[in-house]
Parts: sequence; C-alpha cells; structure tokens
Amino acid sequence: MLEGRIVNLRPQELTDAATMQRWVNDTEVTATLGNRYMWSLAAEEEHLRQRAPKRPSFEEQLFAIKTKEGRHIGNLGLHEITAENRGCDLGIVIGEKDCWSQGYGTDAIVTALRFAFSELNLRRVELHAYADNERGIACYRKCGFVEEARSRQFAFRNGVWRVGVQMGVLRPEFEALHGLKLKEATA
Amino acid sequence: MIEGNLVNLRSPEMADLERNTQWINDREVTRFLSMRYGMSQAAEEVWMKEVCAKPTSYERAFFAIETKDGVHIGNTNLFNAQAADQKCELGIMIGDKTCWSQGYGADALRTLVMFGFDEMNMNRIQLFVFDFNERAQACYRKVGFVDEGRRREALFTEGAYHDVLLMSVLRDEWQRPA
Repeated sequence: MLEGRIVNLRPQELTDAATMQRWVNDTEVTATLGNRYMWSLAAEEEHLRQRAPKRPSFEEQLFAIKTKEGRHIGNLGLHEITAENRGCDLGIVIGEKDCWSQGYGTDAIVTALRFAFSELNLRRVELHAYADNERGIACYRKCGFVEEARSRQFAFRNGVWRVGVQMGVLRPEFEALHGLKLKEATA
Repeated sequence: MIEGNLVNLRSPEMADLERNTQWINDREVTRFLSMRYGMSQAAEEVWMKEVCAKPTSYERAFFAIETKDGVHIGNTNLFNAQAADQKCELGIMIGDKTCWSQGYGADALRTLVMFGFDEMNMNRIQLFVFDFNERAQACYRKVGFVDEGRRREALFTEGAYHDVLLMSVLRDEWQRPA
C-alpha cells in the first residue's frame, strides 16, 4: 500500500468490477476522460481479469484510490512506462462524485508521483486533459505539472471539438514542490 | 496506388524486405525514429509478413514510397486512428539517404495527408518529431503542420535528454497542393 496524506493507493481487485462499471457508465464522470462508451459488467470484469491477476512489473502500475477508511473512490494508472526515456503517462479518475474537490485527486497524484520518482526511478511523468477541464488542470498544476502543448480539435465530445492540453512534470520540479518523501512534505 | 507529384504511395510488398532491413539498421536513419535497437532480417520478415498479409485499412494505413521511376525510397503510415475523434498519427522514413532534401519526403507527406483527409475522413493528423531533427521540422511546417508544443526531456538518446515536438494539421486549415 502506498500511503498518502488522505488516501492510500492499493492494487485493483477483481471484486472492484461493479464499482468501476458504475463509474465508467456515468457520463458526468467520463466527460473529462477518454472513454465515452458504455461498458457491460462482463466487459469490465474481463478488463480486470486481464490485468488484476498479473504480477506487477515496471511497465504499468494500476492503483485503486482508497480513503483512509477504505472506501474505493477512484483509480490511478501509470502507463507506457519506458525504461530508456524514464517517463510515463498518468491517468486518473475520481469516480465517486461526492469526493470531488476535496483534495483526494491531488493527494492520489502526489502519492503516485512520489512512487514514480523515488521507487520506479522515473524522471518525467506526463498526462492529457481537455482544456475546459479547469478543476482537473488546477489539480495537476498543484501537483507540479506544467502545460507543454495544446492540441487543436483534439477530441469531439458533447457535440463540439475540444482542445487538448498536454502537461508534464520533471523530478526536480516535483521534489522542490512536494519532496520525495511523505514526511518531508508534511513536516 | 496513390499518386503524388514526385512520388507514389503503394502497398508494402515482401520484396521490400531487404531494403527495409538495411534502413532500420542504419543509425543515420533511425536516430530520428523511435527505433534504437536495430532488427534482424528475420524479425523484420515476421513483422512485414503480418503487414503484407492484410489489406491496407483504417487501422493500418501503411505505404511504401516510390519515386515516379518505381524506386522504393522509404515508407510512411497513418496509425493510432481514433474513429470517434477523426484523428490519427503520421510516421515517415526516407530510408534511402541519397534521396534526402530533394522534396520526396514533403511530396509523400502531402500525398498521405490528402489521402487521410479526403479518403479516410480524418479531421486531425498529428506527429511527433525530435528537437534535433530540424530538417524534418522544416519539412513538416512547409507541408502545413503547425507547432503545438514540446514534451520536455521526453526522449533519451545519444547520451542526453531531448525535447519532443508535437505538430498537427487540421482539415480546415489544410492548403491543398495544386
């Protein structure tokens, strides 16, 4: 378990399928994500069956975000981790809407970045967002991400072309803001 | 076959195998590509058999670049097609170094981009290019690609970290070649 200030990152379990299926079919949740399709429980179970039983490895890290009371409120993944370039992509969803805007996402990302930089020995993490996802982008900035690129007509969602924003954070930038150890940050 | 002004784009053939193997083992060529290990002819053959066995499609639009005299000089493709968002990525390699800086790459790009917009119904075509590949950046800009930003230190090669530039062209802004 990776300990954050107000959340812990734990492995995703097969028993999480129903919860995750509820999030992925909630269009308020997916409006800011890449996914726009409706998922059956069987498809979600199959998705988890392919990933959850695998031994963890360097290439991909998938986490369930849990409150300190153990409530599963979202997921976080580090994808496409490349050994040569020492970088990866980060994806996050807070699926439980009553947990939005309370610092859970920020704490989950800071905890994952700390793991990426101090355990995986990465030096760069990047992510994609829609430019009109102001809440998300404010959170990513707090974590240390800076805007690196703007993609015009990046996706067609809710009837309009949306601008994409690519953000990145390098290890020294993160370390200056949050420290590589939880204790440094809370001290 | 898709006709350009200086080049044609045709389907890949197994007869291209030896040339392709030579190119992807030429570090002067691959230092600009996401390909650092080189590849045996056997491994390249496995990959090419897979590509050649299936018709060119929305998911896999891979073409050999030929001069008008029928000389195979490189390859280009549209990949990572996202149907709902009408977008994809573009890759290109002019493997025959004697053909660099003569307009073949630019013509192949124009031909492929036009095919992407007019036949595949793409709306956005993007590409990534390394910061030290200035010749290619100039070529992409000439063809109509627009700079969108740079992923800082996203690439490690030749002993150092380098930025990777993101460029794209939209159907609305595309200046159709005469």
